[in-house]
Amino acid sequence: MTRMRAMVIDDSRAMRMILKRIVTKLNFEAVEAGDGKEALDLLTAMPEVPELALIDWNMPNMNGLEFVTHVRADPRLREMTLVMVTTESEQSQIVRALAAGAHEYVIKPFTEGAMIEKLALLGLVPTGANS
Amino acid sequence: MSVEVEVNENDLAEMVEQVWESYLDPEGVSPLMQTYDENQASEVHSSVSITGSWTGHVVYASSLPAARRAAGAFLAMGPEEVSEEDLSDVLGELANIIGGNVKAMLPPGALLSLPQVVLAPEATARYPNAHRITGVYGIWDGEPVSISMWQSRGDNKEGAE
Repeated sequence: MTRMRAMVIDDSRAMRMILKRIVTKLNFEAVEAGDGKEALDLLTAMPEVPELALIDWNMPNMNGLEFVTHVRADPRLREMTLVMVTTESEQSQIVRALAAGAHEYVIKPFTEGAMIEKLALLGLVPTGANS
Repeated sequence: MSVEVEVNENDLAEMVEQVWESYLDPEGVSPLMQTYDENQASEVHSSVSITGSWTGHVVYASSLPAARRAAGAFLAMGPEEVSEEDLSDVLGELANIIGGNVKAMLPPGALLSLPQVVLAPEATARYPNAHRITGVYGIWDGEPVSISMWQSRGDNKEGAE
């Protein structure tokens, strides 16, 4: 069975590692990017588009909201499920991200269980993976 | 526009508890024990600045061993394996997470900077024209850790000395 792929986009290596641990546990193959620009460059070079992207908001070069906007404007990337993972927790920011095309929103700090629950809501977690 | 900040010590303590539960102590065996000593020593610190409806800084400070332990917890490695780059990364992310949650409690219109990390004591920090308004000060596994908020004096007339 082909493994699903997840792109983890955060300028913090530590946060990327935490997210990678979670998605790897869910049997995703993980790819990392340090900002939105690097993520778009990687996506351009990848023959197959990842099913999932976990995206920080505040990053240098290209922030998460700009990345979401770019992805939604690109027909090749249309099927990607986009989850913002960020400290930007005001209602207005959540609305902005969802309006731009993000599917879900996870506020830092998050527990592993909370993240897996969010991904389960999106149908991206095998049954029983969080037990 | 200037506003009186409504984030207090209890709010900060709640955020800190969430950070410990999520990343630094998920097993719940080693929480941050509050000492209420705002003069406790630190060896490294990180901060984010907030501008807009409130202007100031959120600062995370700790001893070097506590910073190594925090980085080890994030990166799933032993404290002795942590590099200086790892320390900077994790200290910055801790300031970012706590600062972001502080910003969420402020009136709309606040902006958060990217984090800054200084591998030197908090006492060496210079926040021009700002004063500390609240903080959480504690001991984590025998090592000092603090989270404090510094308000720019021009932001709140009552805060000016």
